[in-house]
Amino acid sequence: MRELTATVLENKQIAEEIYSLTFACEEPVKVRAGQFAMVGVDGFPLRRPIAVCKAEGERITLCYRLKGEGTRRLASRYSRGEKISVLLPLGNGFSVTEEQKRVAVVGGGVGIFPLIAAIREYAESKEIYAYMGFRGKEAICMQYEMQRGKELVIATDDGSVGYRGTAVQAFMEDIDRVKPHVVLACGPTPMLRALKSATAGRDLPVYVSLEERMGCGVGACLVCVCDLRGGGHARVCKDGPVFGIGEVEL
Amino acid sequence: MTDLRVNLCGVELKNPVIPASGTFGFGREFDEIYDISLLGAVATKGLTLEPRLGNPVPRIAESRGVILNAVGLQNPGVEHFLEHDLAWLRSKTRVIANVAGRDMEDYAGICARLDGLVDFLELNISCPNVKCGGMALGVKPENVENVTRIAKAALKATPLIVKLSPNVENIAENARAAEAGGADCLSLVNTFTGMAIDIEKRRPVLANNTGGVSGAGIKPIAVRMVYEVAHAVRLPVVGMGGIVCAEDAIEFLMAGATAVQVGTQNFTDALACPKIIEGLDKWCASHGVARISELVGVAQMNG
Repeated sequence: MRELTATVLENKQIAEEIYSLTFACEEPVKVRAGQFAMVGVDGFPLRRPIAVCKAEGERITLCYRLKGEGTRRLASRYSRGEKISVLLPLGNGFSVTEEQKRVAVVGGGVGIFPLIAAIREYAESKEIYAYMGFRGKEAICMQYEMQRGKELVIATDDGSVGYRGTAVQAFMEDIDRVKPHVVLACGPTPMLRALKSATAGRDLPVYVSLEERMGCGVGACLVCVCDLRGGGHARVCKDGPVFGIGEVEL
Repeated sequence: MTDLRVNLCGVELKNPVIPASGTFGFGREFDEIYDISLLGAVATKGLTLEPRLGNPVPRIAESRGVILNAVGLQNPGVEHFLEHDLAWLRSKTRVIANVAGRDMEDYAGICARLDGLVDFLELNISCPNVKCGGMALGVKPENVENVTRIAKAALKATPLIVKLSPNVENIAENARAAEAGGADCLSLVNTFTGMAIDIEKRRPVLANNTGGVSGAGIKPIAVRMVYEVAHAVRLPVVGMGGIVCAEDAIEFLMAGATAVQVGTQNFTDALACPKIIEGLDKWCASHGVARISELVGVAQMNG
């Protein structure tokens, strides 16, 4: 992980309340799918943890939702040419073994962005089946990135595009046909809980990427803990954000 | 090159910059970003005799210019620290073991366990996030004196720093109480108790409801308190509260602090401490200050 000052290349709205920020680091940065960056926002003491969506050499793209004052400031304050303070790459990221050839990715909300990183990383070497959930038509973005895998199902709550229902429901309708060797998931906690109960009892490894309010982002401050199933805590920023779905209490 | 060395209770620090307890773990994570041996010392995450799980999440919130935290002393326990972290950390720099307890017995026990093994003990008697002990101990001067005396009695080799709470009626009085109890040094300020409310949910952001406020916004209050304490006791003082840059650190030195701690800024900028050390050197060089210790307590009050 490195503390660096990057140069903003682009910071634009790509869907309802969703922005895409691309910046150039001074040198190439190796980022694994599922890792994240802590992004400094001028005037705010805490940095914002945001998953990496694309890493292309020194060019990094992160996508974020306008959620509060900090992300609104991030959207309005940083345009092309501005310097931005970032700490990256952080966290463990997803890992898929050699034998796991068929990979299902199940995402919802801003959880789709680290999964886009996974699709990009594994599109060549694996068969990827993507199930991506959105509120409605206006929320859909980066479809061309999600299509890099073998199959893509877009699910919308209102049925305005694709499957009417949740990404988890869409995935469960396909699971016996697709027979994935591993599932990578990221999204709101209720979605992850639904996935956990839907896949319970199957001999199928499921990895989830968690979100939590963070302090340092590097594992030092013990702010962003999650509960481990056997008791005790893990640090979402350092031990995660990716955990086996059975390891953590959701 | 400025002489940045300072002497704290007979122990030489290579510079006066110390990451504050709770923001830096035991140093390992930040050492992946820069070599922490350049720091004057490291104040460890608050340690207790037994491991602690801490509070539920969310444990952190933000408000303008400040943050609030309620981690609740999660730590792996002193034995884990001794076995896994201490030797490594001591090979890097001076170690200030920050310790807390539930009652007087706990404080005596943890001080005795760490005596002679670390460079300093820093007694956390003011953590606002622990309901038993913690705050109650740090508020009343007679309790401050008692817990200091008990901790000091358990220490034969290691100097004792008492970390003062700002959530008190008169911090100078508590400083004198710690001095009377046998403290070798005082550090201040710990965090101010605060609350942030999520207006959409109509409830506090922190699961613990209240948390300790830190960050740039508290600095003027902290500087005033350091000034008052430094002039109320004969003990050396370690100042902290909202330090962002070298100039902030110099304010604390001029108010009477021998060394400073940097907390929240480590979250804003992982390189905060090395930047402050570099900035101190530059500021001193450009102001004709040969030794940084010359600045301690030089601020003259207006008529």
